[in-house]
Amino acid sequence: MAWFSISHLRKTYGDFIAVDDVDIAVAKGEFLVLLGPSGCGKTTTLRMIAGFIAPSSGRISIGENDVTDLPPWKRHCGLVFQSYALFPHMTVAQNVAFGLETHKVPEAERGPRVMEALRLVRLEGFEKRYPRELSGGQQQRVALARALAMEPQVLLLDEPLSNLDAKLRLEVRIEIRELQQKLGLTTVMVTHDQEEALTMADRLVVMERGKVRQIGTQRELYERPANRFVADFIGRSAFIGGKVMALGQFQTSGGLSVACRSASVVGPATLALRPERVAIGSEAEGLPNRFQAKVVHASYLGALLDVQVALNAHDRLLLQIPNRAGLSEPRPGEVMTIGWAEDAGLVFGEG
Amino acid sequence: MSAIRLRAARFALNAAAAFSLGFILLPLFFVTWLAFFRQEIPSFPPEGYSLQWFAAAAANKSFVDGFILSLQVGIAATLIGLLLGVPASLALVRHRIPLGPGVNTFLLLPLVMPGIVLGTATYVFQIEVEITTSVPVMGSLVGLIAAHTLVVIPWVVRLVTASLAGFDRSIEEAAQNLGAGPVTTFWRVTLPSIRPGIVAAALFGFVTSFGNLEMSLFLVGPGRTTLPIAILQYLEWKIDPTVAAASLIQIVLIGVSMIVTDRYVKLSRVV
Amino acid sequence: MSTIAPEAVAGGRTRLAGLLVVPATLFVALMLIGPLAILFRYSLNKFVPGQFMVDALVIENYIKFFTDGYYLNVLIRTVRVSVICTLACLVMGFPLAYVLARTQSRFKNLLVIAVVLPLFVGNAVRAAGWMTAFGSRGALNASLMGLGLIDQPLEIMYTENAVLIGIIAVNLPFMVLTLQSVIEGIPRNVEEAAFSLGANPPVMFRRVLWPLALPGILAGTILTFILAMNAYATPVLLGGPKFQTMGPLVYGQFAQQNNWPFGAAISFILMTATIVLTMTANFIVRRRSR
Repeated sequence: MAWFSISHLRKTYGDFIAVDDVDIAVAKGEFLVLLGPSGCGKTTTLRMIAGFIAPSSGRISIGENDVTDLPPWKRHCGLVFQSYALFPHMTVAQNVAFGLETHKVPEAERGPRVMEALRLVRLEGFEKRYPRELSGGQQQRVALARALAMEPQVLLLDEPLSNLDAKLRLEVRIEIRELQQKLGLTTVMVTHDQEEALTMADRLVVMERGKVRQIGTQRELYERPANRFVADFIGRSAFIGGKVMALGQFQTSGGLSVACRSASVVGPATLALRPERVAIGSEAEGLPNRFQAKVVHASYLGALLDVQVALNAHDRLLLQIPNRAGLSEPRPGEVMTIGWAEDAGLVFGEG
Repeated sequence: MSAIRLRAARFALNAAAAFSLGFILLPLFFVTWLAFFRQEIPSFPPEGYSLQWFAAAAANKSFVDGFILSLQVGIAATLIGLLLGVPASLALVRHRIPLGPGVNTFLLLPLVMPGIVLGTATYVFQIEVEITTSVPVMGSLVGLIAAHTLVVIPWVVRLVTASLAGFDRSIEEAAQNLGAGPVTTFWRVTLPSIRPGIVAAALFGFVTSFGNLEMSLFLVGPGRTTLPIAILQYLEWKIDPTVAAASLIQIVLIGVSMIVTDRYVKLSRVV
Repeated sequence: MSTIAPEAVAGGRTRLAGLLVVPATLFVALMLIGPLAILFRYSLNKFVPGQFMVDALVIENYIKFFTDGYYLNVLIRTVRVSVICTLACLVMGFPLAYVLARTQSRFKNLLVIAVVLPLFVGNAVRAAGWMTAFGSRGALNASLMGLGLIDQPLEIMYTENAVLIGIIAVNLPFMVLTLQSVIEGIPRNVEEAAFSLGANPPVMFRRVLWPLALPGILAGTILTFILAMNAYATPVLLGGPKFQTMGPLVYGQFAQQNNWPFGAAISFILMTATIVLTMTANFIVRRRSR
C-alpha cells in the first residue's frame, strides 16, 4: 500500500511545462530515485514534495494526510540539499538540534537525539565545530543528521552526493542506503547519476522533459525498457533504424532482415541491442541473427573491450568483449561474425 | 488554509516593501508634480498645469551658473579621482603591499567622514593655505575640485577593488601564454574586464560630487555656487514651481544617466 | 639562478605597485588628515568678539559646549532624532531589501534604480518634495481636509516629525542597499533548509536570516546613523530656524557668528560623538551575537 503518493502532479511556468502529470506511489520504507537528465523536472518534483514550489495541479499525500496545501515547515520532510545548506552561524550540534526546537521537542530530549543522529552518521565529537571547519564529506553528514534528527515522515535527498569526490561518493552511497534500511525511512532521492541511482534505489523513476518515462526496479528498466529513451538512458544500447515488416520481422535501413520477438506493430521502428548480448565468432553459431561485421573502432577498457562494428554502410553496432587471457584485440578493418538471439533485440515503434 | 496564509504573508512582505519604496520616491513625485503647476503658490489642488516654470528656471542665473559649476567640478573631480584611485585599487588588489589593508581602509575614510566635518576641516585648511602661500584658494574652483576629489576617491577605490576581486587571474595567464606581454595583457585583457567597475566608479564619483551639499556649503564663494546649494538657498527663501522645475531637470538628467549606465553595468551588482 | 628570477621580478613589481598607491594615499592624507589636524588646532584657539580668532591653547570651547544647556540640548536632540531615524530605516528597509535581493523580476534593475536615484538627487530637492506635501495648503492637508478628516490644517512643517520623515526618506536607500547586498550573499537554500526543518517564517527570520544578515545590519545602521547625526539640508528646510541640530549649529558658528574656534570644537564634538556612539553600538551588538 502506498504510504506516500503523488497524483497528477503538474507544474507550468507560462507555456513551459516543467512537470507533466506525474503519478508516483511509494511504499513505506521504500527508497525511490528520480532519475533523468538535467531539466527533466525531477528537481521541480522534489521541491513540490518539500513544499517550496506550489503545484499548478495535482495532489501530494503522506500517510493519511493530503499535504498539497501545507507550507514547507508543516510537512515533516527532511531535505538534504545538494549544497547542504548548513547554517553557517550555528555549530554542528545547533544545526542538528534546529529541527527539534522548531518541532517543540522538550529540551531534555534534544541532547540525546542530537547525539543519536550524529552517532548514526559517525560524527561524534564534532558537536562544537562550525560547518566551515568541516570537510565536504563531513558537512554532507551533518546535513543528513540534521534531516534525520527530526524523524521525518519522508526523507528527501537532492543530488546529495554530487559535491563529493568520486571515492567518497562510493562510500557514502552505501552508508546512506544502509542507514535508510536500518531506520526504515521512506526516501526520495533526485540524481542524474545513473550508477548512483542503480546502486541505491529500490525502484527508479526515469523522467524526461517533465514526464515520467518509466517506473520500475533496476532489472525491469534494464531488461524491459518501456521506450527508446529509457533504453538509451539506463545502460548502453546500440540503436539501428528500420521498420517492422511483419510480426517478429524487422528490417534495418541497411536492408538486413532481423528476427525479433518484440517486433509486433508494423511500421517505422528502432531496434535496440545491449552490447553484451551480442555474441562473436564461434559463440554466434546457431543464433538466428548472424552477420558479417567490420570493426570500426576498438577501445581497451581494462575488464572489457568496447568494439564498434559496421554491418553495412547504414547499420552500426556496439559490442563488449570480456578481456580474457589470450584475447587478440580486434583491429579496425578486421571482419568478424557476430550474432544475437531473437529476444536480445528490443523494437520501439516511432512516436 | 495554510496556503492562503502563506500567500497573505508574501503579500504583506511585498506591501511593506512597496510602502518603503513609495516613501523613498514620494518627495520626488511631489517635486515633479509641483513643477507643472499653473499658479506660483504650492497649494493643492492645483488650479491648472503649465510648462512656464521650466523657462523660468532656465532664465534663473543662479540655477544656470550653479548647474554649469557643478558640472565642471563633477567632471574634473571624477577624472582626477579615477586617475588617482584606479592605479591604487589595482595595486591594492593585485599585489601584497605592506600595510595594504590599512591603506585600503584609509582611502575609504572620506566616505564615512561626516560631510559637515569635512567641510569645516577643508575650510580651515584652505584658510591656512591661503595665509601661508597667499594663493587665493578659498572659494576658488581649484579648492572646490580638490575637496570634491577627496569624496570621489573612496567610491573609485571601493567599486574598482570590488570589480577586481571577482577577476579571474587565469585569463591574464592565458593572455601571457598566448604571447602577450605585460603591457598588452593590461590593455587588452585586464582593463576591459574591470571596465564595468571603472564605469560605475565614474558614475558614482560624478553623482556624489554633483549632489554634494554639506561639504560644499563651506567652500563656495560669492558668485560661485553649485546647483544643490543654489537650490538650498532658494528653498530657504521660498518654495515654488520654479525651483521644482530646476530640481526636475536635475532628477531627469541623473535618472537618464543611470539608466544608460545600467545598460553597461548592472547597477544592482555594483551598488 | 632560474629559481631566484621569478621572486626578483615579483619583488620589483611589488615596489612598482607600492608607487601606484602613493599618489592617492598622499592626496587623502593631505586633504583629510591635514585639515582635521588644523581643525583640531583651531578648536583650541580663543574667540574674542571684535578681534576674531586669537591664538591660544585652551579647552574653553569644549567646556562652553558641555556646560551650556542650549548646546547640550542640541546634541541630545540630534542623537534622539538620529536614533529614531536609524531604527525606522532598519524596520522599513529590511522588507524592501529582502524583496529586492530575492526578486527574480525582470524589473529588478529598475527597482534598484528607483532606490538609488533619490540618493543622487540631493537632500535639498527631496526636502522640497516634503515641503510641497506638508505645507498648510500642501497635498497632505488639502487631501485630509477634502476628506473631511480635519478642519484645521495640521502643523507638520517646522516640527520634529517633519525632520524625522525627511531624514528617514533620505537615509532609507543607504540602509536598503547595504542590507540588500548582504541578503544576496545568504544562499536561498539556507532559508529553505530552515523551512524544511519545521521553522515558520518568523522563526526562520529570527534564527537564520537575522543572525546571518547581522554584519549588513550593523554596517547599514552605522552608515544611516552617521548621516542622520550630520544632516544639514533636511533639518534646515523642514525643521526651520528654531529646530537646531548639530549640522546647522556648526554651519552657523562658521558662517554667521564667525566664531571659528567654537565652530571647530563643535565639529570635533560631532565627529567624536558619531564615532563613539557607532563604535559602542557595534561593540554591544557584537558581544550579544556571540
